[in-house]
Amino acid sequence: MNSILLIFVLIVIATTSFIVGRRRALHSVGGIIKDLHSLPNHYGWFSALAGFLPGLIIILIWIMFGGTLVDNITLAALGEEIRNLSDFDRTLYMNDIRNLAVQDAISRPVTETLKSAAQYYSRTQENIFWIFALSAIGISTVSAFFGIKKVSPELRSRNLLERLILYFLVVCSAIAILTTVGIVSSLIVVTLRFLEHVPLTDFLFGLKWSPQTALRPDQVGSSGSFGSIPLFAGTLLITLIALFIALPVGLLSAIYMTEFAKPKARAFFKPLLELLAGIPTVVYGFFAALVVAPAIRSSGEAIGLEIASESALAAGLVMGIMIIPLISSLSDDVISAVPQSLRDASYGLGATKTETILNIIIPSALPGIVSAFLLAASRAIGETMIVVMAAGMAANLTANPLEAVTTVTVQILALLTGDQEFDSAKTLSAFALGLALFAITLFLNFIALKIVRKYQEQYD
Amino acid sequence: MTDITPNNSHNIPSGTVPDFIPPHRTEKQIKQRLKKRYRKERIFKAVGLGGLISGLLALTVMVTSILTTGLSGFTESRLTIDVYMDPEIIGSLEGYSTEDRIDHLRQVNHRALIRNSLRIKFPEVKSRRDIFALQKLVSSGSRDEVRQKLMKSDDVIGTTIPMDLLASSTVDMYLKGQISRDVDQSERKISDKQLAWLDIMASEGRIIKGFNWKFLSSGDSREPELAGIWGAAMGSFLTLLVTLAIAFPIGVSSALYLEEFAPRNKWTDLIEININNLAAVPSIIFGLLGLAIFLNVFNMPRSAPLVGGMTLALMTLPTIIISARAAIRAVPPSIRDAAIGMGASKIQTQFHHVLPLSMPGIMTGTIIGMAQALGETAPLLMIGMVAFIVDVPEGVMDAATALPVQIFLWADSPERGFMEKTSAAIIVLLIFLVLMNSLAIWMRHKFEKRW
Amino acid sequence: MDKAAVTTVQDLVQPTIRATNVNIYYDDTHAIKDVNLDIPPKAVTALIGPSGCGKSTFLRSINRMNDTIPSCRMTGQITLYGDDIYDKKIDVVQLRARVGMVFQKPNPFPKSIYDNVAYGPRIHGLANSDADLDNIVFNSLQKSGLWDEVKDRLDTPGTALSGGQRQRLCIARTIAINPEVILMDEPCSALDPIATAIIEELITELKERFTIVIVTHSMQQAARVSQKTAFFHLGKILEFGDTSEIFTNPKVEKTKDYITGRYG
Repeated sequence: MNSILLIFVLIVIATTSFIVGRRRALHSVGGIIKDLHSLPNHYGWFSALAGFLPGLIIILIWIMFGGTLVDNITLAALGEEIRNLSDFDRTLYMNDIRNLAVQDAISRPVTETLKSAAQYYSRTQENIFWIFALSAIGISTVSAFFGIKKVSPELRSRNLLERLILYFLVVCSAIAILTTVGIVSSLIVVTLRFLEHVPLTDFLFGLKWSPQTALRPDQVGSSGSFGSIPLFAGTLLITLIALFIALPVGLLSAIYMTEFAKPKARAFFKPLLELLAGIPTVVYGFFAALVVAPAIRSSGEAIGLEIASESALAAGLVMGIMIIPLISSLSDDVISAVPQSLRDASYGLGATKTETILNIIIPSALPGIVSAFLLAASRAIGETMIVVMAAGMAANLTANPLEAVTTVTVQILALLTGDQEFDSAKTLSAFALGLALFAITLFLNFIALKIVRKYQEQYD
Repeated sequence: MTDITPNNSHNIPSGTVPDFIPPHRTEKQIKQRLKKRYRKERIFKAVGLGGLISGLLALTVMVTSILTTGLSGFTESRLTIDVYMDPEIIGSLEGYSTEDRIDHLRQVNHRALIRNSLRIKFPEVKSRRDIFALQKLVSSGSRDEVRQKLMKSDDVIGTTIPMDLLASSTVDMYLKGQISRDVDQSERKISDKQLAWLDIMASEGRIIKGFNWKFLSSGDSREPELAGIWGAAMGSFLTLLVTLAIAFPIGVSSALYLEEFAPRNKWTDLIEININNLAAVPSIIFGLLGLAIFLNVFNMPRSAPLVGGMTLALMTLPTIIISARAAIRAVPPSIRDAAIGMGASKIQTQFHHVLPLSMPGIMTGTIIGMAQALGETAPLLMIGMVAFIVDVPEGVMDAATALPVQIFLWADSPERGFMEKTSAAIIVLLIFLVLMNSLAIWMRHKFEKRW
Repeated sequence: MDKAAVTTVQDLVQPTIRATNVNIYYDDTHAIKDVNLDIPPKAVTALIGPSGCGKSTFLRSINRMNDTIPSCRMTGQITLYGDDIYDKKIDVVQLRARVGMVFQKPNPFPKSIYDNVAYGPRIHGLANSDADLDNIVFNSLQKSGLWDEVKDRLDTPGTALSGGQRQRLCIARTIAINPEVILMDEPCSALDPIATAIIEELITELKERFTIVIVTHSMQQAARVSQKTAFFHLGKILEFGDTSEIFTNPKVEKTKDYITGRYG
């Protein structure tokens, strides 16, 4: 029996409760619905939820905290020596017990102690689950009983239900906030742990990035260096190349489509450009590695230039293609938002289209274009797959676009994929990079949205 | 044309001045000036068109390069080989029960059967090395084909049956023209001897090309010719299912609350700014969130579509909320007034009238959000959906990978045979995305209401 | 169509603008039907009529602003001092420099007051030097009666002015290109009565130098500022003549009903 089966039992209780509650409401007025405050179904739902919700809450508590509870009970039953282990080793030990309990592979030889611990773990887990399950069923039944008893013609069950729905809506809309809180708190907590290993100034201003911490203390370079400057420099370089491509192309496309193209041509071109926006970034990454990087390399060789097979130029170029539709659709929006009256005024004075665009429309739409630029920059900075597949891993501090550079996102991914121990500075540093990335993109988005909002107010 | 920069040091005369009479321009001067202005117009228009075309050109180059490398990934090569079901290798089946027979036939050295059959075909091949090279012509997966044949019926024992065995990736690529025979043997993966054998087989019509069904129906493999995307597709499907199940109700509920119930105050302003910002947070950050919260705090299983779906749900939520709000806002107030005027409660009005009317718009936004989630890679890598997984996942708790992650893995793999598989997988992914987006566009047109 | 009314004015002066058999269509809608009209020089001609009667459409066809609307088609002939303005040889940009336009909603560019006025002269190359440009701006602002109000803040955005000031800025902007004709499309409909009075006074002054065609749905305004009035109804001109004549002694029943407020 598991949680899903338990929920099924609760649904059965709720259904029964629905039927009984509804019938009770009808009976109480002798079948004359109009004498009820709410519709019969409202009474049914009221009774059903009375039976379902308390049990559901208990199940949720089990799902969220049951594991920790079982862990702690098992730990308490284990010997002193286990409890006195470091946090890290204890976690590993618990992992092995858990894995052994479900007959999974574990990281150490299976000893008798471990076996009995695993058995104890399974037993405890089962017992605790039953305690939760029985209390959920019991409380649900009792609550359903009281809910049904409360049903009377005067009960304002519709209002109660609606208030419940409203609470549900409020909770749902708070999830967006919770997500942000979750992101910020998890990033900050881990970053603080990282800063116990590496001083903040080293991280922010260090010029060398090589996160390998040695496996053995006697290895050369046993402490890695965590200077993030090369990563941010690489990110900046690629972002600049991307914007250098995307800004003119995107803006010119938007201008052409809004001001010059006939409606039919616009209806054809616009979806095509939007198609570019719908292509997954991993495809761009593959395109960069398959076509663009070799093309740059061979054209470099043709003029006698040595170009790395993974270069900032290739990644930046493809990233530029990726953000063209972003810039063009945002610019399209702001250019279309320039009031027709301004165009009329300019044409009425005898200006040509070009003069109107360059002197009136672009200056008027400038705030919007700036914010499109910022959003595109934030998008480029946070982009992962293209740079992972085309930019490389070498943390070079260079402004030469023909060399390989690495970016913040590449390093986050590299540090966190594969086997990880959650206590080494190497793994933790990924979260510090993540926090920096989050802060930068948040700042850019915030400014961009502010500009857009102000701009919209101007023409409302 | 006069320079149009603002002139800030105006030399404005004081007092009243006589009317300004514009400097006289002859007809010719005016014409010339106009000509200049129109030339500028033409140039600017051309530049704008150039911008648009270069954007579209990039799209074209990308799509064609993927199509040209990828289409061959959907075909496979097979070699017709007369397989002698050698009773000596298969061994005696005397005295076995039916179950034991099947079990025995499963464990037969099928490799040896193929090797012997190839040696019968090419009796002049003697040295161990050459035999090994000969056997390399067929895929290691071909022994499964022989095994299945054998297990289907043991009547075949002792007979010779012509079978179309799957060619190895190297042979397949040579046959598709991706390995040239003009270069020196040391520079290609296929030897001159192997080429000679292939020539003989080709002259006997023993080389067959066909549609690679395996590619669509099987899981990942280390061998390019055996690898398929079904496992990854199922992983994507399960992940999206979880994403949809979480993001849709929560997204619509919060849109409904924010648009219809929320008071205008600091709190709702905060939620609004927050949603807008969340929509632009890099996806990799959501991966970090999933890793830190779902995996490390809640101890959920790594590599599971459940966790992937939850992570992607948080990522898609802003898209759904924003589009759902727009759809709800588009329902005219008169409909709400009418319902409320009839004595419906506010919630009834929403659920009976506003939501059904805005559903097409909400669905459109949801499909677009799902398409985004389908193409997302980075967050899934962070929560471990990147392992090499052969089995097709059957539930949301099974270890799985997803289509874009599979593409990433294959793109990274050194075997050249995976290149066309990568492109082919991209084609499949793009087909899904195009279908989803077309559905969204179709729905928008079909149900678009002009109030 | 009352031909008699047209012929009487034709004899007085050589018209600045002459419209002959003008028809205008939006897709399938026939917006202007067989309009013939002669607009006299250095005078204000008012186009009045109920809303949707096509008076704005007709006005916009005089400087070919309708060209910017793809679905709009036109037949017939409009001449400016004898030149067919829809002739292929006529350049629309050049035409609009000769026939300026002031719109219903004051629409200054989001630029400084100075740059708003200087915009037209700059694109048409009317100034040989910065001093010329300053002179044009000064003259235009003075003629539009705005000079005293803005002389100390020429560099502030034109959008920061009040509604009436904005509209005068738009008039100054139009004057600055020294057009022959100024078209005004309900220039006061977005303004309060005081601002309206100032603009009307300005229009009266401007007619000394420019031919003005004004669309208005205020009959009082037409009566106050114009010398000639054309009454539009359902895309046709029902009556055209001296303003005093039309308002005191309309010949057509519909005009009378409209002027006396039976419908509108």
